[in-house]
Amino acid sequence: MIRFEKVSKAYPGQARPALNSLSIDIQKGEFVFLVGQSGSGKSTALKLMLREQRPTTGRVYVAGKEINRLAGWKVPRLRRQVGTIFQDFRLLTNKTVAENVAFAMQVTGHSNREIRQRVPETLELVGLDGKGDRMPDELSGGEQQRVAVARAFINRPMILIADEPTGNLDPGNTVGIMRLLDRINRSGTTIVMATHDVQMVDQMRKRVIELEHGHLVRDQVQGGYGAQF
Amino acid sequence: MQLRYVFTELRQGLRRNLSMHVAVALTLLVSLTLAGVGLLLREQAQLTEEVWGDELQITFYMCNGANDRNPQCAGAVDDSQKKVITDALEDNRYVDKIEEESQEQAYERLQALDVEGVSGPDPVVRAEDMWESYWVTMTDPHHSAEIIEAVAGLDGIDHVGDVHEVTGPILAAVDGLQSAALVGAIVLIVAALLLVANTIRLAAFARRREIGIMRLVGASTLYIALPFLLESLVVALVGIGLSGVALAAVMHFGVEQRLSSTAVTQWVGWEEFFSSFAIVALLGILLTLVPTLLLTRKYIKV
Repeated sequence: MIRFEKVSKAYPGQARPALNSLSIDIQKGEFVFLVGQSGSGKSTALKLMLREQRPTTGRVYVAGKEINRLAGWKVPRLRRQVGTIFQDFRLLTNKTVAENVAFAMQVTGHSNREIRQRVPETLELVGLDGKGDRMPDELSGGEQQRVAVARAFINRPMILIADEPTGNLDPGNTVGIMRLLDRINRSGTTIVMATHDVQMVDQMRKRVIELEHGHLVRDQVQGGYGAQF
Repeated sequence: MQLRYVFTELRQGLRRNLSMHVAVALTLLVSLTLAGVGLLLREQAQLTEEVWGDELQITFYMCNGANDRNPQCAGAVDDSQKKVITDALEDNRYVDKIEEESQEQAYERLQALDVEGVSGPDPVVRAEDMWESYWVTMTDPHHSAEIIEAVAGLDGIDHVGDVHEVTGPILAAVDGLQSAALVGAIVLIVAALLLVANTIRLAAFARRREIGIMRLVGASTLYIALPFLLESLVVALVGIGLSGVALAAVMHFGVEQRLSSTAVTQWVGWEEFFSSFAIVALLGILLTLVPTLLLTRKYIKV
């Protein structure tokens, strides 16, 4: 589903590359934690998966497409197969919960009938049944992240990329979001999640890919945050 | 494509950046009106040249031995001198037609004007006081100087009448006004371009969160750019419409109500107005859509 072949990425003006000859292979339906200290290359790896960046050398394949060779006009079609959630939720504060979720369908050309059918279904899936008319600032952090998950998942993407989605949440909401992501994963969606949350990675016992200074230092099938697992 | 969303965004964008849009529309109004006036003046200059060019002739007055202005004249022009003059005129490539007017014909023409002292038992002016003349029509009125240079110095020529000496400054003034209007239009067009660029930058900044989300969920570049393009198009149409009204006012109050009563020349009409306005409208659309297309590519690159 996602494959990096000896991928390096160097940014102009930086002495050290953000990624250095990284090779990883993530299969369909996997749940993968991407761990490492700040500056280890996690965000760059996620940006490459979203084709927000292109590799300096090497090849990146996402959903069967080699992103280096992907023409600009085909990028939106790739991104419809990749949902994304972020630490800061990135909700539109002038739209209701339902409108925020519907937004992802509206701008990708879905009909109103589809939107009316799928938005309540997805809100129910993420545990926000009956809160569609609320504004984002009326919700807790955990609920806002659920809205972001609903928006990322409403187009039923093959891959869900999460960049520290629990970074702004308390332990209770973190558990709720992780349960939700686990449910989505069990429906067949591949999940790649960058995180610093040691306890959560240790509890989930999923595949862990650890980066350090752009190098792959660990790829463990049922790992924890640290190497002792 | 969800057009309802696009039009909602368009309405919000127009409302959010209203003051900038008004500034762009007003700048377009002034710049396009100036450009339109420049184009109308160009049309007027061409019309004037066409009208006057057909009517204007050079007149070579020949010595009559009675009241010659040229001290070189030694009596009335003779047949051999007239032959040299007509040969020189016929050989000149800028000469289209030569008409000869005798002293009697000139006198009759003067009498027809009913000038005091010309008719009656003891007239002040008689036929022998008039000059025999050649009235020359040109193939191109811009080349009167060449014809005059070739003929004026020949024996038997008393003086030359060239109406271009009078009309030249008028045509030059029209040309000057046209240039001034076009220079003014260019300066304001640059201002309009910069204003459009600023508006797009502000609009993209105001909508950066929406644009970021649209990119991430896979909205196409066209879909993201469409509200910006429509916003610019609406502003362009308002600016073009206002400049159309301003130009129509110039035509109605300036040309129709004031100038058309003076029969100095043929004045520009609604046909010239519509052809100039078509160019102005195209210019207005290009002025707004081209920078919008370029800048949206820059600011909302997928």
